[in-house]
Amino acid sequence: MFEIGDELPEERPDVSMETIRRFVRAAEMEFPRFIDHDAARAEGLPGAVIPGIMSQAHLAAMIHRWAPGCTITSLDTIFRTSMVVGTPVVCRGAVTDVDDDGTIEIDVTILSEESGATGVLGTARVRLAD
Amino acid sequence: MANVDLEAIRAAWVGKVFQEIDIVVDGQRMLDWAVSAGETDPRFVDPDHPDFQASTAFPTHVNAARMLPDEFPMLGNGRGIDGGKSIEWHLPMRAGDRLLAEVQIADIYAKTGRSGTMVFIVNRMTFRDPDRQVVATVDWRMIRQGV
Repeated sequence: MFEIGDELPEERPDVSMETIRRFVRAAEMEFPRFIDHDAARAEGLPGAVIPGIMSQAHLAAMIHRWAPGCTITSLDTIFRTSMVVGTPVVCRGAVTDVDDDGTIEIDVTILSEESGATGVLGTARVRLAD
Repeated sequence: MANVDLEAIRAAWVGKVFQEIDIVVDGQRMLDWAVSAGETDPRFVDPDHPDFQASTAFPTHVNAARMLPDEFPMLGNGRGIDGGKSIEWHLPMRAGDRLLAEVQIADIYAKTGRSGTMVFIVNRMTFRDPDRQVVATVDWRMIRQGV
C-alpha cells in the first residue's frame, strides 16, 4: 500500500499569531519570544518564533491526515532554524522504510516558503491502522 | 575538553532520576493543543470520541522545574542550545489520567566539528501510569558549546 519514496501531500499549517497564541496557552508556554515580535527581536531573534514543539505537532497532524487511524510510535526532530510567526511554512514527508509488520518510517521536514530554509527535520515511525 | 572528564560525569549522572512530577492530564488543554496544531482526526479533536487521546507531541509541553540536577557540573558557558526533541509512545494518554513523570539524564556525549567540541546532554522524561507502565518518553537534547 505504501512504498519507499512515496511523498506525503504537502501541508501549510496555520502559523498566524492568533493560532500561535492559542497553542502556547495550551502548552503553558506564553513566553514573549513566541507571541511578541518586538520582545523576540530584543532577544536577538528575527521576530516571534514558532515553538519547536508546535512544529512537531504540525508534522504529526500531517501524518495523521495522510494515514487515517495510524499511530505515530516515535517522532524525532531537530530544530535547525527559527521560523517566524506569520511567515508561511510548508510541511513535507517521504517514506524511507516499510517493515513487514506494517510499520513505516518517514523523513519529515518543515521549510520556510520565503527563504527555503529548513526549520525542522526529523524522522517518524508510524504503525498503520489495522 | 581538556579539563572535562566526560566519562566520570557520565558515570556519576546518567540514569539517575533527579525529579518526579505528578500530572493529571488536562482534556481541554489536549483539545486546544490538537486544534491549534491543525489536527483533524477525531481521536484528537473530539472529546466525545471513544478513543479521545493526546496527540503525538503533547507530552513535550511538560516542563521540569530543573532540567539538570542541582549539583550537575557546569559545562561550557552553562547556556544550552536546543538540540531537538524526540517522543516515543507506548500507550495512549487520555484526559484525566494520573501520571508520574520521572526526569533523568539519559546520556551525555561529545561531538567535535568545525566549530569545536559540543557536549550533548539528553534529558529524559518518562511518563508512567499508576501501574508503572511507560506511557511515553520524551528526550530533549541540550547542547553545550565551548566545553
